[in-house]
Amino acid sequence: MSLFKYISPKTKDEVLEILQKEKSNACIVAGCSNVLPNIRDKEIKAKVLIDITNIEQLKGIYQKEDKIFLGPLTTINELIYSDITSKEYKVLTQAAQEFADPLVRNTATIGGNLVTASPAADIAIPLLTLDALIKIESTRDKREVKLKDFFVGPGETILQDDEMIVGIEFEQSDVNKNGYFIKIGQRKAMAISIATVAVNLEVRQNKINQIRIAAGSVAPTPVRLTGAESFLKNKEINDKLVEEAIDRVREEVKPISDIRASEEYRRYISGLLFKRAFKKLADSSIHQFTN
Amino acid sequence: MKKIEIEFIVNGKKRRIFVKPNDLLINIIRNDLYLTGSKYGCGIGECGACTVLLDGEPVLSCLTLAVTVNGKEITTIEGLAKGDELHPVQKAFLENGAVQCGFCTPGMILTATALLKENPNATENEIRDYMRGNLCRCTGYVQIVKAIKSCVAEQKSD
Repeated sequence: MSLFKYISPKTKDEVLEILQKEKSNACIVAGCSNVLPNIRDKEIKAKVLIDITNIEQLKGIYQKEDKIFLGPLTTINELIYSDITSKEYKVLTQAAQEFADPLVRNTATIGGNLVTASPAADIAIPLLTLDALIKIESTRDKREVKLKDFFVGPGETILQDDEMIVGIEFEQSDVNKNGYFIKIGQRKAMAISIATVAVNLEVRQNKINQIRIAAGSVAPTPVRLTGAESFLKNKEINDKLVEEAIDRVREEVKPISDIRASEEYRRYISGLLFKRAFKKLADSSIHQFTN
Repeated sequence: MKKIEIEFIVNGKKRRIFVKPNDLLINIIRNDLYLTGSKYGCGIGECGACTVLLDGEPVLSCLTLAVTVNGKEITTIEGLAKGDELHPVQKAFLENGAVQCGFCTPGMILTATALLKENPNATENEIRDYMRGNLCRCTGYVQIVKAIKSCVAEQKSD
């Protein structure tokens, strides 16, 4: 494996200063589960590795006024065991339980899952339906970006060389507490997703008051399906509506064929996963809805 | 490249060694500490043969930089037995024929130890779910699950 310099700063400000100085020579690491294989394959050619695992400011899951804050160093396992996510924001826990295996989950972080920007990033999908806000800092600026605007392409985000994610936030709202995530992989363990879908839903008097739909592995980046969302909004739930929405989902995704599945299968399965997730949520929200 | 001094506890003993920034924990454990129970399998975190316990949690030592374990505690398969007395999970693996070629066994046993500590009454489904990242190329899963099940404090069906 190529040589690099290793730095383990104790504060966020130290990291930002190093990033400002080293720019693209530097690579932030935490769980290492993506970075190390990529360094070995020479996909990452960093000369300086900045280990941020000792920075307390970047850890933890807690309530902050009317929001939930997730530190970027939150491990995937913490999403499973935290009371906040496992009781109220189950869509995150469901995605975490499908993530790789328990060994990887102990070290892999949500910040890492987002900056890697894989189209198959499993944690990005529930965070998209939670309409998460990404807090970004550098020595020159602080900014906040909606997660739906964070990804640019496969492996690419809007992050500049000197910037890092310092937090992820989402609102404590009814729609965010009613979410469901489904993943299809080739097997249960260590499978890169063939397709994933998450739905968050709020129903009032049998009408869809709010809905957010996100999908993974079916486009160049994790995506929100806003077309299907606006089609469904304020409509009364019935079987015909769901069937129409499935078609909208299949039209809106932009999958490719690769070693895991064909474009056609991905398009078909996205609609089906949406249907399953939507029905799960709708069934628990209303009684009139049949089959 | 300058070596960095790290101090950590391995199987209850304090160790102080110099490592390069790009040294993987698995290589330090095997080549410098001569603890060859942990195996280098796939090297990309898919197989679980390199599993060690880091502060009690199972992690993949092939995806861990040795410098990052400074100040931490590591348990390898060599640290489970108390003298000549095998750990209950080790005994269960022997008694249930859960060891074939043995390559995956150290990782299997360490992951199983962490599972039983976290969930002493694990059901078969919970065992299979927790062990899903540890692969056995001899495909001896039935015996492995049976061995772990025999360690469960309170036997119950799924």
